[in-house]
Amino acid sequence: MATGLFLQAEEQPWILWDWLFTHLSRFTDAMQQHVELTFIAVAIALVISIPLGVGAHRWRSVRNPAYVVFGIFYTIPSIALFALLIPYTGLSITTAEIGLVGYSVLIILRNVVVGLDSVPPDVIDAANGMGYRPMARLMRVELPLALPAIFAGVRIATVTTIGLVTITAVIGLGGLGQLILQGLVDDFRTPLVVATALSVALALVADLLLAGMQRLAVPWSRGA
Amino acid sequence: MNHKPYSGRLLAGLAAIVFAAVACGSTSAPAATSKGNITIAGFAFSEGSVLAELYGQALQHDGYKVTFKLNLGSREVVAPAIQSGQVDVYIGYAATDLEYYNKGAGEATGDPDATTSKLNSHLQSLGLVALKPSAAVDQNAFAVTKATQQKYSLAKLSDLQPVAGQLVLGAGPECPTRPYCLPGLMSSYGLHFKSFKALDTDGSLTRAAFKNGSIDVGLVFSSDGDLNSLGLVVLQDDKHLEAADNVVPILRSAVANDEAKKVLNGISAKLTTSDLVTLNSQVQIQHQDPDAVAKAWLEQHNYGS
Repeated sequence: MATGLFLQAEEQPWILWDWLFTHLSRFTDAMQQHVELTFIAVAIALVISIPLGVGAHRWRSVRNPAYVVFGIFYTIPSIALFALLIPYTGLSITTAEIGLVGYSVLIILRNVVVGLDSVPPDVIDAANGMGYRPMARLMRVELPLALPAIFAGVRIATVTTIGLVTITAVIGLGGLGQLILQGLVDDFRTPLVVATALSVALALVADLLLAGMQRLAVPWSRGA
Repeated sequence: MNHKPYSGRLLAGLAAIVFAAVACGSTSAPAATSKGNITIAGFAFSEGSVLAELYGQALQHDGYKVTFKLNLGSREVVAPAIQSGQVDVYIGYAATDLEYYNKGAGEATGDPDATTSKLNSHLQSLGLVALKPSAAVDQNAFAVTKATQQKYSLAKLSDLQPVAGQLVLGAGPECPTRPYCLPGLMSSYGLHFKSFKALDTDGSLTRAAFKNGSIDVGLVFSSDGDLNSLGLVVLQDDKHLEAADNVVPILRSAVANDEAKKVLNGISAKLTTSDLVTLNSQVQIQHQDPDAVAKAWLEQHNYGS
């Protein structure tokens, strides 16, 4: 099964177009699964990270444990994590998402905290002086000012997750990772090359879309 | 059909449930009744998919409703999945599975039946059972080119004994220290080769060395899909030096009724190593789909559609 990647190098074309056209649906299905797995992972990670980040910004007693827990989670090899989860959540999207969400939270959480930490103290003083209560100040002053950092976190998490989704191929999901794996195992360049290119394209498009959203949501910040 | 995203499968599943509910509501034909649901897992390499499709489609043909979970990473994923009932069946390999479940205790031998019964002694407490091993085997094997085979009229490894002194052996660099390789060939078969060339284990270097004639005997896997196209012939391991990695269905005892066992054993009895070589070459070299090559094999063996 580990046959000649090198031996076949001269004979095998980079893309076998006939095969590609008869298997297009596998690529579109894989793309769709890839986008769904990524979107769910980043969305849930964001929902977890914002309240957790607000808590971590306020209280050191939340910050350190949260960083440690998700930091340790980040170091668990994915295959070990999946093997642990399978008896409980099966070969399911839940198993995949627990891993992907966990990996994304660490990235977004740190950016939420950094964004909130970087709100200048005199802005907070001014908001207090204008009579904002803590909740209103958070929602209308601090979070909007932290948005560029939060967006940066979401963009990094999204691009990272698009790469990480491929690891869920070991439990039969994986989106484009499934085709990449097939290409590697069978020494078959077409799925390997096409799925890799699609995965890179997906990451670029997602990052551009998020950059566009950031411009709309935070028109006062440019760059980043 | 097995590569739909989960949402597609979910929809298909819902549609099937709705259809089944409607079918039950109306007085449906008795032929539509299913013998039960079975989920079959396949490992993430082409032979894994082919085997899961072969056995799974045979169960479908017998009237089971079969769900395929293909391209699963490895035993680290499949073993917890079958033990927790996420999966009912997977097609394993006797010696490799034995050494997985006994945590590498080295109990596997060259005898497929003994290896499988040892495997069963470890599976029993997990609520699993291994069926009869097939003659089809994917294990370490030693191959020669057709020209070498004809020149010395070779069929099995012991035929090499009188001529080994003129031949060069090629295998991975670990071969001189591994019992299944050079030491085993010396002690079990009394083979003393002219020389040994350290290459790779069943990889491109071995193939290139066969091509340019720098080796005469080389280590491959017995079911490699490219053996025929490269003109290589595997010599029979007549003294059972290699651990018996015969294809063997492993299933949850809960689904192992006589009916299911009969279907799975039927495939094991018909499948041969040379079938595996052909099926693997259709998938790996001709890039056909595993479900299609499995269907064609089943049709050839009278599992008509």
